[in-house]
Amino acid sequence: MVQAGSKKSAISKINSKTGISSLIIFVVLLLAWIAGFSSRLFAVIRFESIIHEFDPWFNYRATAYMVKNGFYNFLNWFDERAWYPLGRIVGGTVYPGLMLTSGSIHYILHLLHINVHIRDICVFLAPVFSGLTAISTYFLTKELWSAGAGLFAACFIAIVPGYISRSVAGSYDNEGIAIFALQFTYFLWIKSVKTGSVFWAVAASLSYFYMVSAWGGYVFIINLIPLHVFVLLLMGRFSNRLFTSYTTFYILGLILSMQIPFVGFQPIRTSEHMAASGVFALMFAVGFLKYLQTMMSKSEFKSLVIFGGFVSAGIVFSTVVILTYAGYVAPWSGRFYSLWDTGYAKIHIPIIASVSEHQPTTWFSFFFDLHVLIATFPAGLWYTIKNINDERVFVVLYALSAVYFAGVMVRLMLTLTPVVCILSGIAFSGLLELVLREDDNVRSEDSEEEEQSTPNKRLYDKLPKEAKTKSKSGKSVGKASAPQVAGRVPKIKHEPSKESDGIGPNIRSAVTVVILLLLMLFAVHCTWVTSNAYSSPSIVLASYGSDGSRQILDDFREAYFWLSQNTADDARVMSWWDYGYQIAGMANRTTLVDNNTWNNSHIALVGKAMSSNESAAYEIMTALDVDYVLVIFGGVIGYSGDDINKFLWMVRIAEGEHPKDIRESDYFTEQGEFRIDEEGSPTLLNCLMYKLCYYRFGELKLDYRTPAGFDRTRNAVIGNKDFQLTYLEEAYTTEHWLVRVYRVKKPDEFNRPRIPVANRIIKSPSFVSKKSTKRKKGTIKNKPVVVKGKRLSTKQ
Amino acid sequence: MYLYFLWTMSGISKIKSFFTLLELPQLRIKKPFWLKQPSAMTMFSIILFSYFLVTGGIIYDVIVEPPSVGSTTDEHGHSRPVAFMPYRVNGQYIMEGLASSFLFSMGGLGFIVLDNIHSTTTPRLNRLLITAVGFICVLVSFFTTWVFMRMKLPGYLQS
Repeated sequence: MVQAGSKKSAISKINSKTGISSLIIFVVLLLAWIAGFSSRLFAVIRFESIIHEFDPWFNYRATAYMVKNGFYNFLNWFDERAWYPLGRIVGGTVYPGLMLTSGSIHYILHLLHINVHIRDICVFLAPVFSGLTAISTYFLTKELWSAGAGLFAACFIAIVPGYISRSVAGSYDNEGIAIFALQFTYFLWIKSVKTGSVFWAVAASLSYFYMVSAWGGYVFIINLIPLHVFVLLLMGRFSNRLFTSYTTFYILGLILSMQIPFVGFQPIRTSEHMAASGVFALMFAVGFLKYLQTMMSKSEFKSLVIFGGFVSAGIVFSTVVILTYAGYVAPWSGRFYSLWDTGYAKIHIPIIASVSEHQPTTWFSFFFDLHVLIATFPAGLWYTIKNINDERVFVVLYALSAVYFAGVMVRLMLTLTPVVCILSGIAFSGLLELVLREDDNVRSEDSEEEEQSTPNKRLYDKLPKEAKTKSKSGKSVGKASAPQVAGRVPKIKHEPSKESDGIGPNIRSAVTVVILLLLMLFAVHCTWVTSNAYSSPSIVLASYGSDGSRQILDDFREAYFWLSQNTADDARVMSWWDYGYQIAGMANRTTLVDNNTWNNSHIALVGKAMSSNESAAYEIMTALDVDYVLVIFGGVIGYSGDDINKFLWMVRIAEGEHPKDIRESDYFTEQGEFRIDEEGSPTLLNCLMYKLCYYRFGELKLDYRTPAGFDRTRNAVIGNKDFQLTYLEEAYTTEHWLVRVYRVKKPDEFNRPRIPVANRIIKSPSFVSKKSTKRKKGTIKNKPVVVKGKRLSTKQ
Repeated sequence: MYLYFLWTMSGISKIKSFFTLLELPQLRIKKPFWLKQPSAMTMFSIILFSYFLVTGGIIYDVIVEPPSVGSTTDEHGHSRPVAFMPYRVNGQYIMEGLASSFLFSMGGLGFIVLDNIHSTTTPRLNRLLITAVGFICVLVSFFTTWVFMRMKLPGYLQS
């Protein structure tokens, strides 16, 4: 009886233990979701529920179109309001995953009679998906290391600034959902490599399909997974599991990815995808050699297999090279090429180099976006390399490639961030496991580690989280208090035997305190960065006075609203490409160029118009049917992202296409400086962009200390103050002069020959008033006068 | 290529009859001595070194070619060297990048060193020293980076 009772209690002990650990996992993930979601809401709370920046405006416009007109109309949508006069085939040139995701959420909510506006779904989509990212990161890390590390990684990725930068509320962009798809695909891939089951491989390819539909970054997956396979082959880790999972994944993924209209035949036609098919062929070659091995008897097979692998890799590579040379396979696109030859974009593709997020990364960005994780990343890498196995090879490769790419482009910090979180989770978990482990080795490591890593999370996360975890764990302790006590009892018995071996309690507590301190500072840093750097909608600007008062500068929306109300419906607005999506999204007017940047020569034409003088620009503008020109001018409020600061890129892009007409050196002074004051080069002082920005600015005196025409952004008095515009006229200037809109005159408005005053024929008024000082009674002009004795004329 | 084919085939005893026609060349293809799977720690050192370079913004240095240390003119007209490019978030001098990435790597090494305190073979004093080194690495790197941030971005973590 006694024995039976103890057995029962042992079983219930195990049950309650797994119950508690899964409850903790659930609670931590939920709280990570909530914390991640709420830390992304700064912009909504400070401003309003609004779409941010540039690209999100297009995504929003496309989503709204899809919701209104249905999916098939969206796929066939030809947008004649963009890239005038070319137009844009939207359905074939977008990754529709984002629109489909929010569209289906909208559909489901409306089925349930929850009438949410599509804009709110778009605004909150990225924060919601960040929670899903945290969960998939947890699963991925759990597969790679342990559940405790997974919880750490999930909490890290929920609040790390490198990911928040692309997923705050309102930043409705592909990356917001793509990082989730990325992590989930990797999780499924690891799972399929581990199990070798077709099921997981199919799931991985389905998830890959979603990723392809969501973001162009899918190329990263389709190169990293083959790289993983290839390295495993090199390490002599070929197995049937690997063969099954890769071949299934590759074939299904290939077919599925080709279903996206924008991707089309690229997976079999372009060089970016060739590595995957090469590894696919290599896989079969290695499999064949392995088969031969079973029939051969010598001991050199291992080297034979490796050598055979090399030779078949050589064959595949040369095939690809020959196919590329013959034109069957497109060579690498410029964007992709610039990742390898880092100087390439600077020389050949100014339009890629001009985007600030394509700049190479400085140390500052690494620390700013990752904080303490940047130091724990090598430690996590060390743990994984020390205990390497098939799936950890993957995370090492992921880490290496992502670090390199993040170094090349600031934007790709985004792909580095998840792997940094994973590896830091591993590092923290490993360290805490070491430090907090009780001396007895009886207890299983997993559950212990979870129990001990979660209390730390309580500390470094936000307050509500702490309270909730406490209350929940308090409940669970109440429920399972007896077994826990029972679990603690044997510990005491075992302790004295090993005490001399372990780490002293002082060191333990010191390490714990340091780690807690670091995590706390990490949380503080994340919140600060999110609040100060990544939560600006950049459509509405805010400036803070010295007394802390806030001033909202809503000039962009003011100008766009003016455009939508006061211009003809088919009016063409010329602006630099940065503002194309916003004009289309908010003002609903036709633009010439936008952020899609697919047509370099069209952009160069606009750049040429902006950088040539007024009359030359007028020719281009009439050729392009431009009605309005819109420029962004920050000189009044000191906004540094304005068109004058971007101007050199316009010149460079124009020079790339029209080297005879535009030369960059003309816009510098003799000392090679770019100045807008009197010493600036005359070409600059007379170009269209300069004139449009500074028209009538010379009359404006901003405050008493500075002279009239003082540009606050560039801290200089402008050089060309007094000029008139011949071919354009000012149509609208916003409150803080941030946006200036000009109307292009029609030829008859300025083309009239001037007539000397003497020759002018002035129509003299035929009507002379009969009013005088005495006769105050007025008369009505052309009033029929009734004369007695006369008949009324029939005409009147 | 052809020789390799023969060599492959030579192993298959079932096709041995094929070689009654041809005399099999006595080939000994050995792996070159340097071609072996590198040890885990070699790999890690290589990775850590490249990590050091990349986080220091070496790619930025190659593309943008900034000066190694900047200079400014003070009120007396003397030019003074400036180590940090202040306020510029996406700009740096070469030395500041290397200094901070050195700190990052040092912090990482500190964590790794801390992991070693567990091994029971080291004597007590050594263990104490290792712990101290680990702590110093982590804390120094962390707080120096903090100072760097304050130089780079005055107002960091304030307001």
